[in-house]
Amino acid sequence: MRHQVIIAGLGDTESALEDSRSIPEMVLAAVQTALADAGIDYGAIDSVVTASVDLFDGITASNIAVTEVVGAVMKPETRISADGLAAIAHGACQIWSGAYETVLVVAHAKTSMARYQELTQWAMDPIHVQPLGVDFLTCAGLQARLLAHGDAGADRRWAQIAADRRGRASRPLAPASSVEEILASKPVALPLRQGMCAPMGDGACAIVLRGAATGAQGPVLRGIGYDLEPHALGDRDLTHWHGLERALQRACKTAELQRAYAHFDFAEPSCLFAHEEELFTAAVKLREDTEISADGGLLAACVPVVAGMSRLATATRQLRGAEDGGRRALVHGTWGPVAQGQVVAILEGTPL
Amino acid sequence: MNERISVDVEMRQSWRYASGAAMERFCEGLRNKRIEALRCEGCGRRYLPPRPFCGNCHLHLSHWVPVAQEGVLEAWTVVCLPFLDGRTGTVRNGPYGMGLVRLDGADTTLNHYLAETDPSRLAVGLRVRAAWRDDLRGAIDDILHFEVMQ
Repeated sequence: MRHQVIIAGLGDTESALEDSRSIPEMVLAAVQTALADAGIDYGAIDSVVTASVDLFDGITASNIAVTEVVGAVMKPETRISADGLAAIAHGACQIWSGAYETVLVVAHAKTSMARYQELTQWAMDPIHVQPLGVDFLTCAGLQARLLAHGDAGADRRWAQIAADRRGRASRPLAPASSVEEILASKPVALPLRQGMCAPMGDGACAIVLRGAATGAQGPVLRGIGYDLEPHALGDRDLTHWHGLERALQRACKTAELQRAYAHFDFAEPSCLFAHEEELFTAAVKLREDTEISADGGLLAACVPVVAGMSRLATATRQLRGAEDGGRRALVHGTWGPVAQGQVVAILEGTPL
Repeated sequence: MNERISVDVEMRQSWRYASGAAMERFCEGLRNKRIEALRCEGCGRRYLPPRPFCGNCHLHLSHWVPVAQEGVLEAWTVVCLPFLDGRTGTVRNGPYGMGLVRLDGADTTLNHYLAETDPSRLAVGLRVRAAWRDDLRGAIDDILHFEVMQ
């Protein structure tokens, strides 16, 4: 029988346009908070999974900067170069398999260190795409144009989504703006305007996963699924997040849920652009009473790599605060150009 | 509290990618203003840019098919930010047009520049045609950009 995985502790730094701390200092703060939240110390950690991207950190094997502060010295450590929620998937598998009982998962990024959009060029094919200067923002502009084709109201709807998400955040990295202000904001990759894009910043997040045998309390990680689309934009149907549909199907299977009947009280999507929220809702087919992006989500404040884990942290807080303790959340992460990689996690307050 | 100290690091390094047999033939074709795709014998999909393997059928691709120099604009954007050209180290300022072009004879689209930067003159579904550089050298930017056909 598969072991149950509990979200036992979480800690994150507040997202900032520029956090003056070093990466290890930032990560240490998140880890210490997570360990205290779980009521354990470093000695209880069996294994560590870190998520970071070398390009963003400016060093190869970017986990070497955090080896000590995540407690990985003389411990098994795995590094994921993708969204932090994919690192959660690997950590959960270690517990599900019975290999370990307590796994610390940590993600970090500092976009203030370099020119983030320029760096994303280097994630494209070096022979026939990179030389043209195509970056993730350009890819998103192409996708948004496809979606807006024949849909005169698209940009206003996207502006509404961005205004709403930013308006509900306590400390957004971009100022709250009206729909009209967003529609008049600087064009970046038409039809996308600055106000429709997630503002990028610095941050770290740490989450303690524990097997139920440890006696840990907290929301249960019931299922995880992920999927990878082809890398080339020209090979993909950019009008749908088919990868998300497949990832959710897999997550429901691991959670032993019927996809058609699985209801989520909370959804925490990873949307770097306002139009992506429409792709998300179309792919997962949420009921109208599902609360989306309770804290404003990534359209209010986004730290790459940390993104999906920050959504997991928000969903965990939602479930901890839920009065009946038996509610379900859908958490989402992406990576790559126009969300080539998709990962979802299903959380429950207590088994429904 | 003392002022935080930060250290600037600039890395200068270069890489030389082996393009692979399929891309070599594609680039050699560009040098002669010829565009070719690779067709999958399993699903029939004609891949452009060509690649050695079909990710859907898991088949090695070796059947070359000719592709026209004109086709349909499947998606476009006008980028308003500058970008750093990694091959020359120079900055290209916006606005510039970028498109996904499905050339006649191919089933996938090609990323490339558009000559047009006026959004009111661009639309999904327009016919476009390749315009070539004078000094062809066997690279993706031997195609200067795609022009909207009148």
